[in-house]
Amino acid sequence: MRRRAALWVLPLVLLGALLGAALDPQALPFVGSERITAVFLLDGQAYFGHLEDVPWSGTIVLRDVYYLNDASKVTTDLPVGLVKRGGELHQPADVMYIRRDKVLAIERVTLGSPVGQAIATQRALDRSAK
Amino acid sequence: MTRRAREELGVRISLRTVRIAFALGGALLAVALIFAIGAAARANEPLAVASPPQTAVQQGAAERDVERAYEQATEQVRKVRALNLAITATQADQIAGKAFADLRALRHSAFVSLGQILGMAAAEADAYSTATEGRFDQAPLAKQTAAASPVLLAPRFYSVASRMSELATLIADQATTQLTAPPSQTSAPPTAQPSPSPTVRPSGTPSASPSRP
Repeated sequence: MRRRAALWVLPLVLLGALLGAALDPQALPFVGSERITAVFLLDGQAYFGHLEDVPWSGTIVLRDVYYLNDASKVTTDLPVGLVKRGGELHQPADVMYIRRDKVLAIERVTLGSPVGQAIATQRALDRSAK
Repeated sequence: MTRRAREELGVRISLRTVRIAFALGGALLAVALIFAIGAAARANEPLAVASPPQTAVQQGAAERDVERAYEQATEQVRKVRALNLAITATQADQIAGKAFADLRALRHSAFVSLGQILGMAAAEADAYSTATEGRFDQAPLAKQTAAASPVLLAPRFYSVASRMSELATLIADQATTQLTAPPSQTSAPPTAQPSPSPTVRPSGTPSASPSRP
């Protein structure tokens, strides 16, 4: 009886250990602060947003998407400007599917970074406008 | 249904079938649970919102960007006006004066837009714009020595700054073209010159499309 129980428990323990080693505790749902992800594509374009990455899918999903725009001719402090996706001519809905094989790198955006602060300010402005 | 009744009906469900059915049901339940947790997590995900001091930093950067566009365009027109031009001094003053007025109106509209983005009412935004203009008129950016740290603008602020920059450049370039034109071409009516209007004033609506940084 004990041997049989061990046969059930052992794989579960191993699975737990594997998942525990592979998972980022901050990436678990209902844990920590907001997670903004930067997705860098092979063509050099970068998108920022909330990432949904399901291992068995051929695409990754970004929501609440922002990207950098060339601002070298604009009198801003930096030669790039942050633009929220959705104002383009085709007014895309707030979800973006990206083919996994086109992704060069995925990184976590620090909330205190210029991109993180610009997104946080955009949210504050959106709320004050309502 | 008793075993006897099942036997009478001729229905026999093996234990293996029952186990498979339970396993499938359990798997379906697990998948549904995963999706439900995912949806709940997405709905309750914490969102970072800037504090008023952080927003003030962005507001200051946006104001500087608008003012910088205004000062650069004004300086361009002033420099061209100072040249020895082919047109008469009266014509040159008229063209330069019109450009300066247009640029001032454009800057006023840009600051009003910034005020509205910050949630101000129309009258309040107009007062804010006038006050900001006065502040920069007293201490232009070109004369300020202390450089503020660079700020990546929030998209709403950036759309105003980029539109202001675009229109200020347009006004300055058109004034330059008119000032440096041969005398025969400067008799065009003033209506041909650009003037800010509600349709072209900087707004908080982004209209850019993705491009490589």
